[in-house]
Amino acid sequence: MFKNDERYWDINLLNKWFAISSIIFLACTVWVFVDDNDDEFKDYQREFRKMQVEVAQQKLEQQASEVEKERTIYDNALASAQREFDARSNELGELEGELISLKNKHYDQNMKYQSHKANVDALKYLVEAENTHGDHGPSHREEYSAALDKLDILRLEKESTEIEISAVQDDIKVIELMVKQKQEELDQYLKQYTLTENKLSKLDRSRMTMANKLGDIVRDLPILDFLDPYYKVNQIVVADVKYDVNFASVPVVDRCTSCHLGIDNPDFSDAPQPYKTHPNLDLYITSSSPHPMNNFGCTSCHGGRSRGTSFVSSSHTPNTPDEKQRWIEEHDWKVNHHWLTPMLPTKYTEASCFNCHSNTSDLSGGEKINLGLTLIDQAGCNGCHHNENWPTQAKSGPSLKKVNEKLSEDWVAKWVKNPRHFRYNTRMPAIFEQPNQESAKVNAYNNVEIAGITEYLFAGKDKMKGSNSKRFIGDPINGEKLFNAVGCMGCHISEKDPDNTPQINNYKNLTKVHGPNLVGLGSKVSAEWLYEWLMDPQAYMPDTKMPNLRLQPQQAKDISAYLLQDRNESFDDLPNHDYDKAVLDELTVNWLKKSNPERFAVAKAEKMNQDEKLNFIGEKSIRHYGCFGCHHIDGFDNAKPIGVEITEEGSKPVGKFDFGLYHDIEHSVHAWIENKLRTPRIYDRGKESQHLDLLKMPNFHFSEEEIEAITTAVLGFNSNKVGESLKAYKKAPDVYKKGHRLVKQYNCQGCHLIDNRGGQLVEHIGPPEYGPPNLNTEGRKANPDWLLSFFNDPSIIRPNLQVKMPSFHQISDEDWDAIIAYFQHMDGEHLNYRAEHEFDRSSTEFVAGEKLHEFGECAKCHFYGKTFPSGEAPTWAPNLALTKERLNPGWVSEWLKDPQVIMPGTKMPAPYLPDKETLAADGSEDIMGEALVKLGGDSTAMLDGLRDYLWNIKGSTNIDGLIKAYFDEHGYDFDSVSEDDYEEEEGWDDEDDWDEDDDW
Amino acid sequence: MLETFKHTVDYLSSPTISFSILTVVTPILFPPTDWFDKINRKLGFYLLWTKKGCVAAMSAITFFFAVGYMDKNFSVILMKGDNFPIVLMVYSIFFFTWLGMHKAYINDERIERGLKPSEYNDPDDKVLVWPDLVYIEFIALILFTVFLVVWSILVAAPLEEPANPASTPNPSKAPWYFLGLQEMLVYYDPWIAGIVLPMFCILGLMAIPYMDINKKGDGYYSFKERRVGIFIFMYGWIVLWLFLIVLGTFFRGPNWNFYGPFEYWDAHKVVALNNVNLSEYFWVKLLGTGLPENILLREVIGFITVGIYLFILPLVLAKTWLKDMLEAYGPIRFVSLMVFGLVMLSLPLKMYFRWIFNLKYFIAIPEFFFNI
Repeated sequence: MFKNDERYWDINLLNKWFAISSIIFLACTVWVFVDDNDDEFKDYQREFRKMQVEVAQQKLEQQASEVEKERTIYDNALASAQREFDARSNELGELEGELISLKNKHYDQNMKYQSHKANVDALKYLVEAENTHGDHGPSHREEYSAALDKLDILRLEKESTEIEISAVQDDIKVIELMVKQKQEELDQYLKQYTLTENKLSKLDRSRMTMANKLGDIVRDLPILDFLDPYYKVNQIVVADVKYDVNFASVPVVDRCTSCHLGIDNPDFSDAPQPYKTHPNLDLYITSSSPHPMNNFGCTSCHGGRSRGTSFVSSSHTPNTPDEKQRWIEEHDWKVNHHWLTPMLPTKYTEASCFNCHSNTSDLSGGEKINLGLTLIDQAGCNGCHHNENWPTQAKSGPSLKKVNEKLSEDWVAKWVKNPRHFRYNTRMPAIFEQPNQESAKVNAYNNVEIAGITEYLFAGKDKMKGSNSKRFIGDPINGEKLFNAVGCMGCHISEKDPDNTPQINNYKNLTKVHGPNLVGLGSKVSAEWLYEWLMDPQAYMPDTKMPNLRLQPQQAKDISAYLLQDRNESFDDLPNHDYDKAVLDELTVNWLKKSNPERFAVAKAEKMNQDEKLNFIGEKSIRHYGCFGCHHIDGFDNAKPIGVEITEEGSKPVGKFDFGLYHDIEHSVHAWIENKLRTPRIYDRGKESQHLDLLKMPNFHFSEEEIEAITTAVLGFNSNKVGESLKAYKKAPDVYKKGHRLVKQYNCQGCHLIDNRGGQLVEHIGPPEYGPPNLNTEGRKANPDWLLSFFNDPSIIRPNLQVKMPSFHQISDEDWDAIIAYFQHMDGEHLNYRAEHEFDRSSTEFVAGEKLHEFGECAKCHFYGKTFPSGEAPTWAPNLALTKERLNPGWVSEWLKDPQVIMPGTKMPAPYLPDKETLAADGSEDIMGEALVKLGGDSTAMLDGLRDYLWNIKGSTNIDGLIKAYFDEHGYDFDSVSEDDYEEEEGWDDEDDWDEDDDW
Repeated sequence: MLETFKHTVDYLSSPTISFSILTVVTPILFPPTDWFDKINRKLGFYLLWTKKGCVAAMSAITFFFAVGYMDKNFSVILMKGDNFPIVLMVYSIFFFTWLGMHKAYINDERIERGLKPSEYNDPDDKVLVWPDLVYIEFIALILFTVFLVVWSILVAAPLEEPANPASTPNPSKAPWYFLGLQEMLVYYDPWIAGIVLPMFCILGLMAIPYMDINKKGDGYYSFKERRVGIFIFMYGWIVLWLFLIVLGTFFRGPNWNFYGPFEYWDAHKVVALNNVNLSEYFWVKLLGTGLPENILLREVIGFITVGIYLFILPLVLAKTWLKDMLEAYGPIRFVSLMVFGLVMLSLPLKMYFRWIFNLKYFIAIPEFFFNI
């Protein structure tokens, strides 16, 4: 070694430094291990383990108390069996001794037998060789046969010992079984309890043996924990759901269950997050649900960073500002900027339904996205925003091609300026008078544009609005009655008070305002136009959604009178629309400048007269504001939509959204969409845009519920990738999507309950038997041939209804086909064509059916061709002669079995079916008839017979004329009879009456 | 008061001002000639290299960052995982520069007094590799490992989302050590800023030992004995490299726009960048004619300018101002020095031409991607 004085540094000092730094380094290494193993999810798992112990403990106690009583009985039985067993222990000992000696004997015998058998086989070969190859030496034949004999003897000896052994074994078993059986009975009884106890012993360290306790600690130590740790990342690899990493996609690996530990365990439904049970286990998570966790994972619906194992790294998204604040305080939550698909706030989770169910707005359990998609159709979003995922099927507004016949120019200008001045809850969005148009200059431009649009719509057309002659006006009081009765309210309301209008927070309420709120019509249209419109809406607008109600002229006049009564005074009092001619010139030049140098633009403008300028501005403005997105307008039949494509709007990176210059809106996709819907021009705040560069999405005045629903739907329009097997929409035929959207387009659910949705008119009318029928099983029920003919030319099915199925002549056969296909798909019906129902009129069933029909007194309510029912008009029911044309035989049997199941509230009683006992009673043959007795209470056979009998009823199938004539004479006054009175009067209703009939 | 401070800092940080300040301050801090030395003495800049100066400067830097961490805008930038090394870099640059200069000043004084530099006080001018060198290196190694481990525990690695060509980050920044190069891209065509200049940096650094004929200052710290060399190096290293990194890290925001440290990074900020080529100055603005069709004719002024700068200027200097140097260094060393020196100088020159004249390129031939 060196002497210290040869060194530059003091070696002792360096040693100290070395020691200190090494200790620090060691501490650091320990810190690395601690830090590396201190995962957030482990804290949750430890906490959850405690909760599990608690829950299991409670369960155990509860189970213990449940089994307590019975347990003693089983215990006693076991103990007495044990005593008996003990008593026979000597016997058992003897038997066991015997068994051992027998087994020894058998072993010896078996050995002898096997070795002798080998010899026999060798001899057998020699003899066989002799047989085939001739004589090669002394014969072994005799030796062989002697050996065979000996083998037989040995075998017999061995077998007899085997029999003895099994006899002794059986004896032993009998003795042992006594205890074993009782033990098994006890175990069986305590099965659940033992399971819980075992589970608890694995969870609760305090119940473990010392060795297990040690093992439980060691398994989670750093490095060793690669083997079988208790605290570990739980993950689900979802092969069918992919995360797009640009140029490649990888399966989603969901680690959510590392912290959400109780998600599939119903015991934790009241536990706090993250342990809480999923709120809908019937639909999700569990293996018996349609969306098992192993196939769908979590992030395929919720979004978020699936591989994250901490609160922040998994990209949770708060639902409300309060929640956000709480998360920041509790979890240091922040936005994960580098993750492109953050979790959807729970209020928008339904958006993900659309990834797989992209062909329906009728998804059960997806009411929010259903409403959103329906609103998108109704508001006409896709008229401006091209959307491959949910393409538009029809224009949402009325055609303006013949607007000159309906409205005055002045009215149109005032309406375009602000539609809400006329109708406070109109669907027509406000294009003008929006926050980014407040400056005087823009306002002046807008006035010119409004005048231009009006001019364009009326240019070159006859401007006669039609007369208000008395010829078209009837009795308003009767009109109001009709308005309420014939079915107008399936789509329209007439409500002046904004507080009484339906809140659009569910689909049913939406169907109430499918058509415009019919207020102030006196200030809008002429009596002549309205009369003609009511008589034949298609004459004015061939593709209108308004059906033809087949009104009598007088009815149309009455309804016109009622609707025209109401005028909107404040709208009438608004000054006529005016604009500044200088601004018109300026705007004309501005538009021309877009495609011409300014000098040419000015020259061109100078050559135009004022009408030409207005017309020019009108055309430009209609194109600019995209009016043709919702309305048919001459000259815009093939115009391209003006808005941004929204096919994958939900996946657009947040950086691609323009949040404008203010920073008060949260930078997330959903917040952007919400605010856009709430205040469409909001992102223009503070901007110095030119008039034609201003944002132009009109304001639909959506309610908060509507905004939430539409945002959900728009978030559903995304590029998320799911595997073929998950695409639920592939399981439905393509026409299904079209069909169910047509049903919404024409608001069938305003009147009918279809797929358990809609039917508000029924409630409006009162008792369901006077409302439009429930169409829940229509696909199974109606013969498609008949259904199509009915749609094309509705005839009266339910004679007691004043409300009637209108004629939708505007719906093409192709569309009807889609609608029928939709009905059939919903009911799992696949047959479009079926042979005529065959039956034997001489069969026992048929004869029995005839008898049942007699008992049922069907003729009291039902028409038989032209034969009127014997009962009063309010109870009248469909023409039974039509049944064979109209209905599918399978459905009729189902219906007859229990009409209430198919159509709750129907007045149709289930037919009386005698039971076995009744039929077996003495003399029943006289009452019931031979055939019924023969069927011996077989309800299926009886119902089939009754159905066959219905198929046999002959008569006229169209009795509209008769019924009309009757009601023209007698009127529908019975609708004023309240339900209760009516029940008393008629004295028959439901099963009560049939119980009495049992005495027959 | 604090607001005024922030506004002042924001204002002073703008590249034109801060770069100019540094360009002016560097020769005073590291005076290459007696004239600058006189100014240094007069203004008291040398005090920076005293212990008190160190404490004062460190406090100033700390104050700046402390204010930064408390500021809602600057803290966002400072807290980023990527930017943490830059904060450390600022401290370490100053400290090691100070350490070198502090020792150099002590030695300069000693040499003036006729003493040997303090390093000569070591026993026999020798230390043993083992244990003296290796041992302390080993201790340093352990401590530095500790530092790296603690850093990696406390500051998460700044990982981002998978690269997506449809959605690029704004600003899109190079790794911190390349931010100087990225800043050069503002002023030069990519092939110069990204290839030629970095290559010259490396070659130039490699060439230093071969071009340095100054035998003094070898084995000990000293400033006076090689003040020109130190000045040139310090200007290149601190102003043209490290400062550009700091600028790129803290002051360049969305769209590579300049933002003062306390300013909000507003992505909507628009800065007019109407840059004009030399050929346009000459043909359009000066002569009032259009640009000639012929590319060579069009760019002739640029070629002449660059030619003069790179080829004529060294000759002229050799005959006049740097005559002594040519003699002392010999023609090859002189030419190499000139080439490296002029290329280095071209960066600040180009920057000033850009700032003062909005000059885009001296030679602009986008047809062949040849722009200088």
